Order: sequence, then structure tokens, then C-alpha cells
Amino acid sequence: MEFLKVNHLKVYYPIRSGFFRRVVGHVKAVDDISFQLNRGETYGLVGESGCGKTTTGRTLIGLIKATAGEILLEGKDLAKLNRRERSYHRKDIQMIFQDPYSSLNPKKRVLDIIAEPIRNFEKLSPQEEKRKVQYLIERVGLHPDSIYKYPHEFSGGQRQRIGIARALTLHPKLIIADEPVSALDVSVQAQVLNFMKDIQTEFQLTYLFISHDLGIIRHMCDRIGIMYRGQFVEEGASQEIFNNPQHIYTKRLISAIPNVDPRKKQEQIKLRQHVEKEYKLSWQRYFNAEGKAYPLKRISDTHSVAIL
Amino acid sequence: MRANLNDSQQIAKDVSQSPSSLFILWREMIKDKLALISLVVLSCILLIVYGSALFLDQDKIVKVDLLSIYAPPSAEHWLGTDYGGRDILGQLIIGARNSFTIGLLITLLTGFIGLAIGLIAGYYGGIIDNVIMRIIDFILVLPFLMLVIVFVAIVPKYNVFTFILIMSAFLWTGKARLIRAKTLAERELDYVSASKTLGTPDWKIMIREILPNLSSIIIVNLTLNLAGNIGIESGLSYLGFGLPESTPSLGTLVSYATNPDVLQNKWWVWLPASLLILVIMLCINFIGQALKRAADARQRLG
Ligand SMILES: Nc1ncnc2c1ncn2[C@@H]1O[C@H](COP(=O)(O)OP(=O)(O)OP(=O)(O)O)[C@@H](O)[C@H]1O
Ligand SMILES: [Mg+2]
Repeated sequence: MEFLKVNHLKVYYPIRSGFFRRVVGHVKAVDDISFQLNRGETYGLVGESGCGKTTTGRTLIGLIKATAGEILLEGKDLAKLNRRERSYHRKDIQMIFQDPYSSLNPKKRVLDIIAEPIRNFEKLSPQEEKRKVQYLIERVGLHPDSIYKYPHEFSGGQRQRIGIARALTLHPKLIIADEPVSALDVSVQAQVLNFMKDIQTEFQLTYLFISHDLGIIRHMCDRIGIMYRGQFVEEGASQEIFNNPQHIYTKRLISAIPNVDPRKKQEQIKLRQHVEKEYKLSWQRYFNAEGKAYPLKRISDTHSVAIL
Repeated sequence: MRANLNDSQQIAKDVSQSPSSLFILWREMIKDKLALISLVVLSCILLIVYGSALFLDQDKIVKVDLLSIYAPPSAEHWLGTDYGGRDILGQLIIGARNSFTIGLLITLLTGFIGLAIGLIAGYYGGIIDNVIMRIIDFILVLPFLMLVIVFVAIVPKYNVFTFILIMSAFLWTGKARLIRAKTLAERELDYVSASKTLGTPDWKIMIREILPNLSSIIIVNLTLNLAGNIGIESGLSYLGFGLPESTPSLGTLVSYATNPDVLQNKWWVWLPASLLILVIMLCINFIGQALKRAADARQRLG
């Protein structure tokens, strides 16, 4: 049984207009995507801004209601659970938010922030609660005394660690990380990413890692899905996609990764021009008349592409 | 170093909602000379009014004494008497206490209703929000003062409490709107989403997460409203549609000035009350303005 399976997920936002605010159309933020996550892996979701990555993540965790489709966590359809079961399974999925500033309530002490889920689900005495919070805060590399501070007394990277500690409190199985480092300084990014890798093995976590930065995705992910306008254009093992991209959109994304090596600069520019030319010439092969991607087609056991 | 820099920038950025925002409100107000003076003056007035009201007997003060009608200020009646021979100073103190208490109660009651309804409308949005906003629109188009006057005229036994209730029934709408707008903005922030994913029930998110972030706005709004509510009470009493004459109020005292003879020759009847209303309202307003400036980071005195 797959750990998490997403079947034909659709999320449409209604567009309302006019005096009666009638629905005049839909933004198809997520338009029929299917994928699965295996236990313990890191699955990357990549794509340009507005392609529906955040919407996908937030729908999985239940912050947004799906228009259609199923989300099966260990075989159970999350949408069909009753209230009690849902609150129980809530614990299994947690989220790390993009913005470490707005994701921590500025009015609460770190202790209260991290203890919030404990207070919801477990009845611990204040001492036990404090001990648990201190263990977690130490585990994410902060001083145990910082539990009495407020979020604004920390740097961005430290705040993100507090957010991670909070997500870990309930021992989740799946963590959805929506651009967890894009608000951070480059120097701090690597630190937080490596830390996320460390806790992954320690807490046996599965990650759904959302990012628009292919460099980070390559560093973090075992498998990736490339999204374009609410659909997948390519999906498969990270290695295969980076070494052998099939879809023109993927090729463009990969050719756009900045190269640190100055000697390869010329090569990179040539590659980019080549891809751009191919993009203009063979557009029809990859997108239909409406500019939408075709259904995914399997080209190897671990690699699917949306071509005819 | 970089972390430090980030930190201080961040503190500068969200200082208005940092945990010590109440302290910042306080600090800013202390810096504002006018507000500070207002605070001191207002505290003195309230202290004197509430303190001495404890030793005054309302029944004795409102008792008619035909032997000393319109007595000018003297040793016995420091501020003279009115047309019923009642001591003005006593009425002034009791009246100020009544007016202020009523204004405060109306403010608190409307604050509470507005907060609850505004939070619910803003947090849930959608249909609930729509219905609530339409109800508020409806209440806003009603001629508020006229309805209060009609109510007072037709209800035979109205007293302080019915007065407070009828006033509150109309005056909560502005606060509900304000709180709703702020809640709408606040609920889009990730800390609210985080609370949801952590399994916190909605009512707890509203009260424990969102509400503390609205505290400075609420305090500012309630302060400014307090002045207005005292004004409305006095105004209605002045027109004769406020409290019954057996319950002294500042407005009642001022309303004696509708008699031209009193207005011209018997200043001690209405002047002290008018001045007191003016001073109280000005003080509260100055304090409120200072708080408002303090809550808005861009206007801080630093
Ligand atoms: N509440 C909403 N109402 C209507 N449309 C929305 C709403 N939220 C998102 N959308 C639309 O859905 C699409 C997908 O948005 P989403 O936030 O999932 O993109 P994203 O891939 O996360 O982009 P980014 O990389 O910029 O974060 C966008 O076109 C956006 O305009
Ligand atoms: Mg996003």
C-alpha cells in the first residue's frame, strides 16, 4: 500500500463577478493531478509561480477543500473521514510554512507556540509540557531558555526552526514544506535544509517539498513532479529528470539553473539558446491548442512525461 | 552579524504587533505631553468624582428644597442650587459619575458585541459574513437618535439599564465592522493556517490567536468611543430623552440652560457641567489620539 496517494486531484477557485457575485468561471489552480509518495522519501513539487504548488500542498493538509479527486493517506480517504477521525489523522500531516515571520504568532511565547498542538491532543502537566518543548527546541538547535522569548527576538532561520519544532511536536508522518527556505538568507538556507534532512531520518518523516528552486530540489528530493498550470508535465526519479529531461518545459527550467562555474558559462548560454529554439519550434508537440499539457505517459518505470 | 541585522530590521518592521505593544502604546502616550496632561487631569477628575460620590446621598441631593431655589454659590451650596433648590455641586458629582459610568458601560458592551460579531464574520467569511454585514447595513440606515427618542417616549419605566441596552443595540455596528476588517486581514496570515493544521478549534483560534493581535486597535477604538458615548448620553439627557430627572446627569444640568433666565443670570447651574463635559471629552480624545498614533508605527514619536 502506498503511503500517500493522490488521485485526479482538482482544485478550482470560483471567479465571481457582477452584482449578485455569480460564479462566472473558474481558476483551475490544480487541474487533475495524480501522484504518490512512498514512506520516507522526499518528493519535490517544482514549477513556476502560480502553477498551483501551494494549492496542492494546502489541499493535502486540509486547509483548502478539493473540488474533486481523492487523497489517500495509508489507504484512507481523508475527505471521507468523520470529524473525530479527521482530527486524529490531522496529526499525521504537518506543514512548514514559507514565511517564518507570519507563521508564528507574534503575541505568543515560543513555549506557547510549540505547546499549542500538545494542548490540543495530549493532556500533559505543565512540567511535562515544558520538558517536551525544551527537548524539541534543543533538537532544532536552539537554546532551551529561548522558550520564554517571543518570535521577534529570533532571526529568520531561527524562526523557521521554531516552525519545524512545532511541526514535529505531534510526531507526524508527512511534512509538507512549502518553500521552507525561500524567505531565508542563502547562507542560512543550506543550514536549514541539511537540518531538515537530519530530522528526516531521525523522525522517519516523508516530505512533500515545494519549491521553485531546482537547485534546492536536486539537493533534497528523491523524486520530483514538474508542474505547469495546475498539471504535471513530467514526473519521476530526481536523477532521471535532471539527467534526461524529456518535456520542453522541464528542459527550460533546468537550463535556467544558474551555473556557479564561470568556465561553463558559455556552454550554459549555448544550451539555453538551444532550448529556447526547440521550445519555439516544437511547442505543438508538448502542449495542446489551449496551452495545456497532455496526459502523462510512462516512458520508464520511474519516469513519466506529458507528451503525445 | 547578519542574523543580528535581520533581527533588528524585523523588530522595526513588526513592532506594532510585537508582544509588548501595550507597553509601546503606553510609552508613546507618555511621550505625548498633551496626552499625558489629559491622563493626569482625567484621573484626578475621576478620582474626585468617584471618591466623593461615595459620601454623597443621591436621594438627599435630588430632594426638592423650596426655601433655597436658585441660590447663588455660598458656603452651604458651593455651586448654588437649581430651580428645585437642589445642590448643584452634588448633582454635578453624581451626574458626572452617572454619565461616565453609562458611557463606559455602553462602550464596553458595544465593544464586546462588536468584537464577537466582527471576529465571527471576519474569521468565517462567506455566507455568515454576508448575512452579518447585511444586518449591520440595515441597522446603520435606521435613524438611531429618533428611535431612541421614540423608545424613551413609549416605554413607561425606563431606567439606566434600559437606556444602556437601547444605546448599545445601535452602537456596536461600527466596532463590528472594524474588527471584521482586521480579522479578514489577520486570518490570511500563516499563523492562523498553522493553528488550523495543529488541530486548534476555531473558537480558540479566534480568541487566543487573532484577538491578541487586535488588542491595540481595540483599545484605541474603545477609548475614542468612550468620549463619543459620554457625549451622546449627555446630549440625549439635554434634549430630555436621556435619564429621568431623578437620576442626575451632566446633560440634565446643561439642559437647564434652555431657560433664558438661567442661561443669562444663573451661570452656576449650567456652566460647571458644560465645562466638565468639555474637559472630560477633550481629555479622553487627546488620550485616544495619542494611542491611535502610537498604534500606527509610521506616526510614532520615536
Ligand atoms: N484564494 C484564491 N482565489 C482565487 N485564485 C487563487 C487563490 N489562491 C490561489 N489562486 C490562483 O491559483 C493559482 C495557483 O496558486 P498557487 O498559490 O498554488 O501557486 P504557487 O505554485 O504556489 O505559486 P508561487 O510559486 O508563486 O507560490 C494561481 O493562478 C493563483 O492566482
Ligand atoms: Mg506558493
